[in-house]
Amino acid sequence: MSGEASAGVASDAGSASEASGDESAGTTAGDDALVDFHETDSRPPTVAIVASLAAAGVAATAALVASPVGGALLGVAALGLLGGSLRSSTRVLGWGAAVGVVGLAVAGYRGAPAEALLVAAVGLAVAWDVADHGVGLGEQVGRGARVRRNVAVHAGASLLVGALAAALVYGVSLAVGGGQPVAALALLLAGGIALVSALR
Amino acid sequence: MSDSRDAAVAAEPDGSEGDGTRPSGADRNDATGSDAEDGNATGAAGDGERNRNATDPAATRSAEPSTEGNHRREVATDRWLGIAGAALALVGLGVLVRQPSLVLAGAVGVGYAVYARTGEAPTPTLAVTRSVSDEAPAPGDEVRVTVRAENAGETALPDLRLVDGVPPGLAVVDGPARVATALRPGAAVTFEYTVRAARGDHEWEPLTAITRDVAGARERTTTLDAPTAIACTPELAAGGDLPLRGLTTVHHGRVPTDVGGAGVEFHATREYRRGDPLKRIDWNRRARTGELSTVELREERAATVVLLVDARESAYVAADPDAETAVEASVAAAGQAFSALLDGGDRVGIAALSPLDCWLPPGSGTVHAARGRETLATDPALAPTPSGERFYRSLWLRRFRRRLPGDAQVLFFTPLVDDTAATLARRIDAHGHLVTVLSPDPTTTETAGRRLTAFERRQRLRTLRSAGIRALEWGDDSFPVAVAAATRRWSR
Repeated sequence: MSGEASAGVASDAGSASEASGDESAGTTAGDDALVDFHETDSRPPTVAIVASLAAAGVAATAALVASPVGGALLGVAALGLLGGSLRSSTRVLGWGAAVGVVGLAVAGYRGAPAEALLVAAVGLAVAWDVADHGVGLGEQVGRGARVRRNVAVHAGASLLVGALAAALVYGVSLAVGGGQPVAALALLLAGGIALVSALR
Repeated sequence: MSDSRDAAVAAEPDGSEGDGTRPSGADRNDATGSDAEDGNATGAAGDGERNRNATDPAATRSAEPSTEGNHRREVATDRWLGIAGAALALVGLGVLVRQPSLVLAGAVGVGYAVYARTGEAPTPTLAVTRSVSDEAPAPGDEVRVTVRAENAGETALPDLRLVDGVPPGLAVVDGPARVATALRPGAAVTFEYTVRAARGDHEWEPLTAITRDVAGARERTTTLDAPTAIACTPELAAGGDLPLRGLTTVHHGRVPTDVGGAGVEFHATREYRRGDPLKRIDWNRRARTGELSTVELREERAATVVLLVDARESAYVAADPDAETAVEASVAAAGQAFSALLDGGDRVGIAALSPLDCWLPPGSGTVHAARGRETLATDPALAPTPSGERFYRSLWLRRFRRRLPGDAQVLFFTPLVDDTAATLARRIDAHGHLVTVLSPDPTTTETAGRRLTAFERRQRLRTLRSAGIRALEWGDDSFPVAVAAATRRWSR
């Protein structure tokens, strides 16, 4: 937006007119000559940022209950997601999510209970998903547009998938009984993956 | 929404990707056609049954039955890249440190990875109608545009983003021309925005629809053609008295010439010749000296004028991004000059210094006035945004000279931001068509570079004036004021 703010420069300023004034007598007036309204506000919509923060908060709280260090790392991840949303940077969002995964690993290593860890994992996934979705929405339709329904559907679907997956694995782990070795769980998971990929 | 022009369009699935689960297009057309409200023709086509479009009544009612040219592609967004790796890392760590909870958390990640891999970006089958509140607005009017998109297909669109193709010459002043939503089959989304009308014919570009699958892993871009147009033709404001130079036709008009004859203004006296009218004999001199002499008066004749508007890409300059361009100022001034000169009995034509061809031969009369107004308002060569084509100076000059009547003088409207305009003015003048340069001033003085540009432009004006070409510039004050000020300065 800096180009549009500085008047009088023969700037490209995101104008689609592609006018290359050969002598910079003034700005080549873009087609989006906007006075008080900027359609090109490409920041993510507020509703996506708020939803992402809420999910990240849930994740951090759940991890904090189980393990302070893991909770702190998930808090850092929430900050990273917020920063990525504000800067419209999917790269920052990715780093935030990576820190969150490390936080999950640390919490799990410290012996966090499965319930808390599952809530934290789903929360982190939803938080990152909604934040990244918001950045994409910001790029394509901008902040001023009506997006509430879109974000709600996306966040709801993401939460549903996470909840289903968590319920499934938690149910399976209860069903097979707590006494099984960890390797058996992992082999069960590998079998599940093979089954799903075979069915597709 | 008094007046609306609508068209309904539907994107068709690719032939290669049609999975055959959708019903035939006819059912859908009936469904959407029945709930067409207030005269909006609505139609939809689908499933590659392009032939149906021609025969289906609902489709033929729409302005453009064809939905050809829809451009679709499906791309992976790569959003979920790395999720499977992270999930398996958690599982592996869980196995290593013997923590079952980590394995479970990793399994949730695997669930998301599966979620990201299933699903495909749906091909939208949308019935799009666009209506404008005013099809023929005046410049500066705000036009409300309403776009309604209905999911006429059988599949739900969990993530649909619509970006309307606002014409490049129109500025959106309220509400983005975009929306993001999710549509069940049969559901519709309506969004409104306001554009400020600018001079010219504006045609909407196709609506862009971007669909993603639920996980957002795949994305498809579709363009939907819903033709809408508005025509904004400004009234020609009556301008002031525009001084012309002394190149005239033989017809009577109002340009004073250096030819003695009948008129109102004194020109010369000469010896009496037999047959001179009695009322032109200088009786005072006859009384003083006894000689007969005749008073010659300036003949007033009509001129042929061609208004030449600089509309090359370099002329689309303005003092700041929100201001009107020099081309707009030139066209507005040319409109005033056009009506003023026509009212004065001169023959006026219009030409554009532009890569596109624009030529209205000099003429007079009310039909010609209407034609001139139309040309100034809607000719593509004088559009509010540059055409982007290349301009060839020598070709243009040759064609222009071939068309220009021998007794025509040229009023050249140009911001004079490059040397080409000044050179052309001098060359046209050298070929005997007296040139008056009328230059809107787009320069500002905020930085050194801008001051330099302003200085260069002033230098060009000075060079033109020293070459004997009349030049007039106007900046913040209006064109008639500048003309009135300059008229006092100019001698005939």
